[in-house]
Amino acid sequence: MSTGTQSPRDFTYIKPRKRRLSEYEAVSCYTQPDPNVFDRQGWYLLTFEGRAAWRSESTRLQHPHWFDFRDPSGLWQRTYVRLQAEQERAIERSVEDAALAGIFRDFDAVWLNEIIGIHYRAWSFFEYGLFRAFSRAQREALADTIGNALCFEAVDRIRHAQSTVLYLMELEASVEGFKDNSGKEHWLNDPVYQPLRALVEALMATEDWAELAFAVNLIIDPIVSEIGVSRMIRHHAPHHGDPITPSIILTTERDRRRNRAWTEELVRMTTVDVPAAGHNREVMQIWCDHWRPAAIAAAKAFSPVFNRVAPRAPSFEDELAAACDAQADIITALGLVNRNGV
Amino acid sequence: MRNSIEAHNRVKDFDWEPSYVAKPNWYPTKYKIPAKTKDPFRHLVREYLSMEEEKDNREYGSMEDALARGQASAKAEPRWMEIMKAVLPIINFGEYAAMKSTGQLIETIENAELRQGYLAQMLDEVRHTHQEAYLVRYFAKHAADPEGFAQGFKLRGTNLFNRAGRAAFETFFVGDPIEGALNLQVVAETAYTNPIFVALTELSASNGDQVTPSVFLSIQSDESRHMANGYSTLAAVVSNPDNLPALQIDFDRAFWRQHAFIDPFMGAVWDYFQANRTSSYIEKWREWIDGDWIGSYIERLAPFGLKVPRDYAAASERTPWLGHTAAMVAFGAWPLNFWRFDPLTPADMEWMELKYPGWYGFYGKFWDEYRRRCDPRNGELALSLFPSMPPLCRVCQMPCVFPRPDISTCRIKEYGGKRHAFCSSACESFFDQEPHRYLGYSTFYELFDGYDLADYIIENGLLRADGKTLIAQPWLDMERMWTIDDIRACRYEIRNPLRNGE
Repeated sequence: MSTGTQSPRDFTYIKPRKRRLSEYEAVSCYTQPDPNVFDRQGWYLLTFEGRAAWRSESTRLQHPHWFDFRDPSGLWQRTYVRLQAEQERAIERSVEDAALAGIFRDFDAVWLNEIIGIHYRAWSFFEYGLFRAFSRAQREALADTIGNALCFEAVDRIRHAQSTVLYLMELEASVEGFKDNSGKEHWLNDPVYQPLRALVEALMATEDWAELAFAVNLIIDPIVSEIGVSRMIRHHAPHHGDPITPSIILTTERDRRRNRAWTEELVRMTTVDVPAAGHNREVMQIWCDHWRPAAIAAAKAFSPVFNRVAPRAPSFEDELAAACDAQADIITALGLVNRNGV
Repeated sequence: MRNSIEAHNRVKDFDWEPSYVAKPNWYPTKYKIPAKTKDPFRHLVREYLSMEEEKDNREYGSMEDALARGQASAKAEPRWMEIMKAVLPIINFGEYAAMKSTGQLIETIENAELRQGYLAQMLDEVRHTHQEAYLVRYFAKHAADPEGFAQGFKLRGTNLFNRAGRAAFETFFVGDPIEGALNLQVVAETAYTNPIFVALTELSASNGDQVTPSVFLSIQSDESRHMANGYSTLAAVVSNPDNLPALQIDFDRAFWRQHAFIDPFMGAVWDYFQANRTSSYIEKWREWIDGDWIGSYIERLAPFGLKVPRDYAAASERTPWLGHTAAMVAFGAWPLNFWRFDPLTPADMEWMELKYPGWYGFYGKFWDEYRRRCDPRNGELALSLFPSMPPLCRVCQMPCVFPRPDISTCRIKEYGGKRHAFCSSACESFFDQEPHRYLGYSTFYELFDGYDLADYIIENGLLRADGKTLIAQPWLDMERMWTIDDIRACRYEIRNPLRNGE
């Protein structure tokens, strides 16, 4: 080569987060076109209603360059699929081993029929609703790195929903008399799940993709999933002869931690060193004020179920207060305020 | 899995009608889709993940191991490798647009069976986006000349053909979600992924590029599922006769929008960038598009009232010439691109005449003259062989010179106080149906009219690392490359051919 200087052998137009460009950054960054970046001419097609491919008003947050976002997990398709394939294999194996060892027959009857058969199964509809909400959100996000994080979260949620169904099929096959046939009915009509259903329907109708991530990953999961799944099922399962469900739930908690981390990163990115930091903080404060009471209401409705599971201390109120305190810490660490207590 | 049929039935029973908060209609569709249809995708997420993980391991494993150690990419034919600089960033946007398209379909189409297929396709499209970006970076690291690979995603935004590719693939997700599915799944994936991802791999391999086939064939193993998505979507649409009038109009438009970009572009890639010659593009077109797609796929839907696309006969008649005309424009306008060109040799020209009888009469003189203008010492740009730069189609962004310059179907009309060019009566008719959909951008000439070519090159980042030599070159000779000074000495001005009634 006789160009005189060394030719670049990497994507030098991407500003790496660390010293060297990561594989994640190389395959993700600038795969989404943008007229304010490299696509000066704008959008070549509008919808019949007149909207373009992407619109800055798809979120109320403002940022001069959304493409700066990096998911702290650094997952791209290959590493994401590998992670989830491993998690699903782990579930499949432990459920298979438990069935062969006869462990499912040790579940106490109330636990099996009411907590796993109804409560945990009803939960799968919540996850499914989030799958639909996040699938749409990924369509609208204003940068590839954000769209990918939203897309992976959509797949997390459908994975959780489907793996619950498969688990209950295995229970049906192992425990005589157990039938997975009433989860949907409870989801639709049982007063315990109506605030949760109202909450997910509101999320499915939330247009702002950043608001969806903020509400779910920083407010609703830390309170509602924490109480309804982690504290109620994962924590108490061993006391009811169930060592298996916690291992399934732990895979969803791994996903939740990742989703919380990328959303915290999104908050930091929009509230530190950007011209609209003040505006963004105000918007997120409004989201906080709006979603926290709904999350707490959804969690409070689980109280009768909780009391069937754990009549002994700690009380439901203590558990909810602890979850709300932990969630409040997430929010205050990001420079926002919790104005709606338990 | 103890009972997989039962499992599939149960995972499709998640939907409910929201009663607390009404579902907004974010992506309006004029189509009525039945709530229950056949399932195009009988895989659970668990099975899907394990299947894709295994495919990823095979593909990336071979790229990282044997192919890298054997320096496969550095040894490939340079003529072939150069055009991959253009092809990959274009296709990559198609995949990314497809990811957005499936997000819209998941949101809009209230049918649990179809949604199973869409959800896997959504993650597939992320897969393909990342596979292709990975391949571009792999080539940047391993190819003999990395310039153009390293900057492709940056430079595609202002590139003549990449812009047209973006225009074609925006149809996947900018509009009625079903119209998007027609463009993406029914036309682009079902008609065109076989020529792109299967047939092109033969060409890659015969030109020494062993890496592209390992990526493309892995992609194509997902595409067959997407074709099933397209077929099931289409079958669901035609099952309601009320949908037919709108469907035919959208289908006609989808076919032409994909054809208007893909056939000229792929024709040029195919016939002008293979060094070790195999088949011609038109042979593949007759086999895959005419035979398989029209002949078996589309005609199977005839009993339901779906007709062959309105402009199919015109497309079939003009396709033999499209690649040659596109190649002439691309080679002629070489300084505006970000890859190198290898002029046709006398043996190539014989092959052209053999595969496309009459070729020399239309294009031969251009090539004789082009070769002479490759050497910068002669100081003549191939661009000066054309009376002017071509107008670009308001709808498809392709140059208005097709099918051949001597029988160009270019047309110009006034609308909203401006003159607009169209490459064909079909593109003009789409504009007439919905002009506002095509008026949301600045045209190439609105941005660059009056620019000296050298300034255009500098402003658009088309120089190599030394800051002087062009990334693009009209030939593969690395000892005699064009510099920005050579270009400036030619004093070529970019002029809008529609300027002031010219």
